[in-house]
Amino acid sequence: MIRRQWRQFDWILLLAVLIVSLYGMVMIQSAVQGDPQLATYPQRQLGFILVGLVLMFIVAAFDYRSLGSIYVPLYVIVIALLAMTGILGKSLFGAQSWIEVFGLFPIQPSELAKIAMTIALGRYLATHQETIGQLGTLVGGLVIMAPLVVLVFMEPDLGTAIVLAVEGGIIFLVAGLTLRHILSAGVVGALSAPLLWSLMRAHQRNRILIFLDPTADPDSFFNVQQALVSVGSGGWLGKGYGQGTQSQLHFLRVRHTDFIFSVVAEEMGFVGAVLLLLLLLVVMMRLWRIAAQAPDAFGQLLVAGGAGIILFQTVVNVGMNMGLLPVTGLPLPFFSYGGNAYFSLMIFLGLAQSVAMTKRSQVL
Amino acid sequence: MVTRPQRDTRIILFRLATVVVFVILIARLAMLQFFTNENYQEQAIFNRTRVVKTEGIRGVIYDRDGRILAANKARYDVVIIPAELPDDPDYQRSQELRYQVYNDLIALITDGLQRYPPVSPTAAPAANPDFIFGSNINPAPTLLSADEMDVQVTQREAGSAFKPIVVAENLPRSVAWLVDEGRFRLPGVNIQLYAERSYSAGYVMSHILGYMGPIPEQTINSYVDQGYSREAWVGWSGLEFSAEKTLHGQSGSKVIEVDVNGREKRVIGKETAAQPGHNLILTIDLELQQTMFEALIEGVNPLRSHSAVAVALDPRNGHVLAMASLPAYDNNIFANGITGQEYLQVANAPGKPLINHAISSIYPPGSSFKMIPAAGGLQEKVITARTLLNAPGIIYLPNRNFPDNLDLAQPFVCWIYKLGGKHGDINVRQAIAESCDIFFYKLGGGWPPGEFEGLGVETLAYYAQQFGLGAPTGIDLPGESAGLVPDPKWKRLAKGERWVTGDTYNMSIGQGDVLATPLQIALMTSAIANDGLVFQPQLVAAVTDAESHLLQKNEPKLIREIPVDPQHLATVREGMWMAVNWEYGTATNAALPDVEVAGKTGTAEFFDPEIPRDGRGNLPSHAWFTSFAPYQDPEIVVTVFVYNGGEGSAVAIPIAQRILRSYFDIKARDAAAGSRPVLDQLSGDGS
Repeated sequence: MIRRQWRQFDWILLLAVLIVSLYGMVMIQSAVQGDPQLATYPQRQLGFILVGLVLMFIVAAFDYRSLGSIYVPLYVIVIALLAMTGILGKSLFGAQSWIEVFGLFPIQPSELAKIAMTIALGRYLATHQETIGQLGTLVGGLVIMAPLVVLVFMEPDLGTAIVLAVEGGIIFLVAGLTLRHILSAGVVGALSAPLLWSLMRAHQRNRILIFLDPTADPDSFFNVQQALVSVGSGGWLGKGYGQGTQSQLHFLRVRHTDFIFSVVAEEMGFVGAVLLLLLLLVVMMRLWRIAAQAPDAFGQLLVAGGAGIILFQTVVNVGMNMGLLPVTGLPLPFFSYGGNAYFSLMIFLGLAQSVAMTKRSQVL
Repeated sequence: MVTRPQRDTRIILFRLATVVVFVILIARLAMLQFFTNENYQEQAIFNRTRVVKTEGIRGVIYDRDGRILAANKARYDVVIIPAELPDDPDYQRSQELRYQVYNDLIALITDGLQRYPPVSPTAAPAANPDFIFGSNINPAPTLLSADEMDVQVTQREAGSAFKPIVVAENLPRSVAWLVDEGRFRLPGVNIQLYAERSYSAGYVMSHILGYMGPIPEQTINSYVDQGYSREAWVGWSGLEFSAEKTLHGQSGSKVIEVDVNGREKRVIGKETAAQPGHNLILTIDLELQQTMFEALIEGVNPLRSHSAVAVALDPRNGHVLAMASLPAYDNNIFANGITGQEYLQVANAPGKPLINHAISSIYPPGSSFKMIPAAGGLQEKVITARTLLNAPGIIYLPNRNFPDNLDLAQPFVCWIYKLGGKHGDINVRQAIAESCDIFFYKLGGGWPPGEFEGLGVETLAYYAQQFGLGAPTGIDLPGESAGLVPDPKWKRLAKGERWVTGDTYNMSIGQGDVLATPLQIALMTSAIANDGLVFQPQLVAAVTDAESHLLQKNEPKLIREIPVDPQHLATVREGMWMAVNWEYGTATNAALPDVEVAGKTGTAEFFDPEIPRDGRGNLPSHAWFTSFAPYQDPEIVVTVFVYNGGEGSAVAIPIAQRILRSYFDIKARDAAAGSRPVLDQLSGDGS
């Protein structure tokens, strides 16, 4: 008999996420001050946090195992939404990647894709645990992933497409992909690269080239240089909240999203930045803990997918801010401004809480 | 088949990987923030701070009576900053919004120009296109069309979108204000205000005042070391150049904090205010200067000449009262910035309008030189005031190698010989008055050989140098020429030839190789007029600060006293008096009814491949007249030179006479009105 118990709800996880979220809102305030067009962003971010909390509790209230029965329609709807973006999507920042779904908030289908893929792939691999070592299972999983990744890439959203691919990889790894298949997947990937390359259009190739070599694009090179100066000039305790010369004088671009970590490092210094990183570490360690204690393979893979996304995005974003990784435009989880990414993360968090409340010890 | 423990193991590996990744991130953070911290802090400071230089307001230049000659005027331009124009993700919409701004701006300016028409370009007084180049006192407003604006905006957006684009220039102030008021509905539009040099007298003062331009590339560092900003303008010629330090004042500077677009956010630390430059009060009398130009233009107009000069000095102190050089140019054309092509067009026009021929060009002085052998001969006791020398119309200088063969002798003629006459036995006063060439051949080179020695070339050159020839006078203008006083050594070095007696003959009448600027001839005349005192010619009488407090009054600067006894100079002056006031004088048409004038004509032959000889094979000649007045206690020296002007008496004298007339008229009028020169008032205040 499995009973869902609210006392198993992971309050430490929620607390850590809330602190990161509010810390983020405060730093967004500093990043946008003096800019009348962005003046309302901190309030809006607070709205996103509140809506996100509601979403999380709603998702947590459902038994994640019931998702196993609706994953097919969910998957089909998301594919349809992604395909429609090109037709109905409203153009924003030059990319056709936004679509009104809830009327109130524009939500990106690519964010929904992360959730849909985690559920579908998790469900598929959980029900094929006996044949996980066989090539057919691997191919089946890749067939589930491929339409999502390709459609997101076409949107065009290279960053999210990479996140999806990495997320799928992590789910495969946790699900028990054999070393032989990992290696052969790598070989197949390497061999198919030239083929994919030849199928791409010029602007798509260009996007990948800039991803690999940011110095080719003077704008993003400038941004990375200024991010390094921001982080480097912060020192122990930083220049003080709202006092960062790099951020306040706008040498640092896209301060409230991509480069908000640089704002933290500049204004709050090493102490403030490490505090943020440790809070995110707590979030991830709690998620891995829930995954380890999950009652079944599906639960484990759901949580692992979410943890993988948070880990990957954190590393890519912070690495980009410190000049370690190329500029991709991936936001810092729970911290950067924006509703879409926040909502999908909170849905993952709800799923994780749902798993946490269904303990293995209760499986009889 | 994957077992649960296998999955758990993989999760443990991911937990480990997560920790490892975070350790790496924190290590990188520590490296950036602790080890390379100072370097990045410096870069952050470099990013946000700029040193901004501000130029002081340039000094104003006045004439001796306080009339403004050079001042600063405001110039209003309208600019568009592309980055601040309305923008929309939709290109069509974006263009619509921008064109709305362009068209609204154009409508506003066009409407404003109808309501407040600009002051019509001031026509230069008595401008004569043959002699005056460029007239641009009030440049007309310019306005780009909407399409032209868009082309510039689109080009600029690629690079420096925050650099302003000038779309309308030289707007009247009222129109600039209209645009300023309308700016709230014209995003991206801005007004730029410049201080621009304005020369109210136009071409009349151009050669003296000069003009300004951007700092020349090769001297930029020395100016920057003195505190100039790299964009500053500096004097390029005339007083704007030579008095640059006085006029410029001190640059101020401030350190500002800027944002990524270079816009000023606040001033950091102490601001050094710019100090305004100092004002100049010139020795020039603008009224006399204007008369001088009118007299020159009208006097030269009927001739084929393309250049002429007049100089008026005060012999008592070296003050330059007026100085004119034709052709002239309007220096206002430089204030707006002149294109290279326009510059070359003016610079290469016939007669070279940009050159101040009064100080920069050298000409044979002709008979105006004769006072020098006269003074030297008297002082060296070669002659006395009463010595009579016989002056037939022609003398023959025997050949050095065959002194007895008259066929080989070289003839030297007097100008009067060409008219069929001769001067006979004459003394030095008469020789000056009648401009007798034979007298001066004999006085300078000696004749007949072995009987009358003459001054000799070395002594003649010595006196010429004493009178200020062969060296710059030291006037406070750039580009002065030294002229040339030849001697045997010079001829050997320059031409590789031996000096012969004939050369001394030619030099004695101001021909041959002797060359002088018109200012040098004026200075020489001035020294004769004031008993041998050579004062450095001065243009700047005084310097005041921006509040008109006297800072410096330039005292007369005595260069030297000519080693000729006063009674000998008096004899020379008597000769010059006779030239004007004796019935046989060559300059009788220079006389004024109420003032005694003394002077000396000159008709200097010159060789110019472009100017043919006349029908009788005579070389073309420059016309000279140099004079002083009143004869007793001289106050003014006037020297007139007309390039290719022919007879000095016919061309140069009427011009000089008109200048002298004007000087004494102005003086009488001012005396009647009881007005005192500004200079005297200032000296009272300053002490």
